[in-house]
Amino acid sequence: MDKIDISLNINDKPFEVRVAPNDTLLEVLRDQLDLTGSKESCGEGVCGSCTVHMDDKPVRSCLTLALEAQGCNIKTVEGLANGDDLSDLQQSFIDHGAVQCGFCTPGMLMSADALLKSNPSPNEETTRKALSGNICRCTGYAKIVEAVCHAANPHDRCPDCKTDNNSGE
Amino acid sequence: MRLPRFDYLGPDTLDEALDLLATHREEAKILAGGTDLLVRMKKGLLTPKFLISLKALNELSYIKKENDCIKIGARTSIADIIASDLIQKQARALSQACEKIGAVTIQHYRGTIGGNILQNNRCHHYNQSDFHRSGRQACHKDGGKICYARDASDRCNSTCQSDGATALMALGAKIVLASKGHERTVDLANFYTTDGIMPFAIESYELLKEIIVPAEGGSSAYQRLAYRSAIDYPIVCAGVLLKLSASQKNIIDDARIVVGAMSRSPLFLAREASSLKGKKLTDTEAFKKAADASMNSAAAFAVHNVGATLEYRCVMVSEMVFRALKSAAQDAKA
Repeated sequence: MDKIDISLNINDKPFEVRVAPNDTLLEVLRDQLDLTGSKESCGEGVCGSCTVHMDDKPVRSCLTLALEAQGCNIKTVEGLANGDDLSDLQQSFIDHGAVQCGFCTPGMLMSADALLKSNPSPNEETTRKALSGNICRCTGYAKIVEAVCHAANPHDRCPDCKTDNNSGE
Repeated sequence: MRLPRFDYLGPDTLDEALDLLATHREEAKILAGGTDLLVRMKKGLLTPKFLISLKALNELSYIKKENDCIKIGARTSIADIIASDLIQKQARALSQACEKIGAVTIQHYRGTIGGNILQNNRCHHYNQSDFHRSGRQACHKDGGKICYARDASDRCNSTCQSDGATALMALGAKIVLASKGHERTVDLANFYTTDGIMPFAIESYELLKEIIVPAEGGSSAYQRLAYRSAIDYPIVCAGVLLKLSASQKNIIDDARIVVGAMSRSPLFLAREASSLKGKKLTDTEAFKKAADASMNSAAAFAVHNVGATLEYRCVMVSEMVFRALKSAAQDAKA
C-alpha cells in the first residue's frame, strides 16, 4: 500500500503528485493541488458536485481513483475561464441568476460544458437530461437550465430573457 | 468519505489480469468503471485487499456482429452501447435499458455493461453506511443470521436491480466467463444462484469477458419504474422479446418475458410468455393476460426492500410487462 508518484495533466498543466492507491481524484485535486472548485458532497456519485472532465467527458471525481486518471486530460472548473475572462457559459450563469448558494455550480458548469461541446444550442429537454445527474439543493433548476440553453447568446443581454435581466436593475 | 486501503494492480493484458485473479482469488476484486464497487467500498460493505483494474484492457471494449450474434466486450461503456446503431436496431431492449442506467455524467462514460450485470444485489437494510449498520445485528448479507426484509427468513432476500441484466436476459444473451487457461459460456438465465449473499454463479478466479446477444430477428422492449428518471435503481422493470412467425408476419411465434428488480435475480417467466405463441400482434387482450400472469408469478418472490410498497410494486409488474409487450409489438409492426 505504498504511495506512488504519478503525473496528472490538469487544465493543460502537468502536476507531479504522490498518491495512495485509495486516494480519489477529488481528494488529490482538493487536498494536494488546492483546486477546491470541485466539491465533495455525497461522496458516492449521486449528487454531481464533484464532476470534472476526463478527456472531455464528464465523470465523477469522487468515484475515480487518482491512479486511474493518469494519462487523461483532466479539466476542472478552474480551467473553464481564460484568466479573468469567464467562459460564455459561466457568464450566462451570472446573467441568468443561476447561482444561489453555489455549491452545485462547479458540477453543473462541468456537466453543461460537456453538453455544449457536443450540442452548442441545446433545447430545454436535452439540457435537463444532461444535467439530470446533478442535484441543486436550493432547487434553482429553472434558472440553471435557462442559463445553459442561452449560453450561446453571448454576454450581457440574452433576447429570450431580456425582461428577466432588466427587471432586477 | 475515504476509501478503505487496498493495493492497486494494473495489468496490461487479459492474460495478466487472469493470472493475477488466479493468484489472489477472493482477496481481489475487478475494477472496471467503479461506479458500483467503489461506492460499496466507501460504505464498508467490501474491503478487498487488491483491486485489479481493467483500465488498460482496451481489448475488452468492443461491439461487433459475428454470424447471427452481437458480441459485446464486458468493459464496453454504457455510452458506447447507447451510441451503437447495431444495438439500437437489433437489440432495442438493451439500448433502452442502458439509457436508463444512472445518469449521463455518472455511469455512461465510466460505467460498463459487465459491471452493470455484476452490480451486487441491493437491499434498503444492507446498502447503508457503516454507522447505520453498526447500530444493530448483522443481516445475512453482512455475515449475520437475520433478514430485516422478511421475518424469519433463513436466507438473504436482496434484490437484483440491474437494468442491463433484465434486458439481456429477455434477449436470450449468453455470457463468456474467462479464467486462466479456460473459458466457459453460460446462458445468462442460468447465471444466478438463489442466494442473495452471492447472487452470481461466478468463481472468484473468473472474469466476465464477453456478452453474446443473439440477433436472429424479433423485436424487443424494456420498461422500468423508478422514483426518479436519473441516478436511481428500478423498483420494477420488464424486458420482453417477440419473435414473429416466418410465414405470417403478424403472428407471434415465440416470446420471452423477464421481470427485474423483484427478486434475487431477474425472473425469466417462460410459462407466462408461452401463452403468447400463435397470438396476433394486435391482440392486446392476450398481452394483458400474459402481463397479469407475470405479476402473479413475480409477486411470490418479492420482498419489501427497495422502496415503494410491495403491493404497488406487484401491481406495477403487470403494467410494465404490458407496456413492454405493446411497445415491442408496435416496433415489430413498423
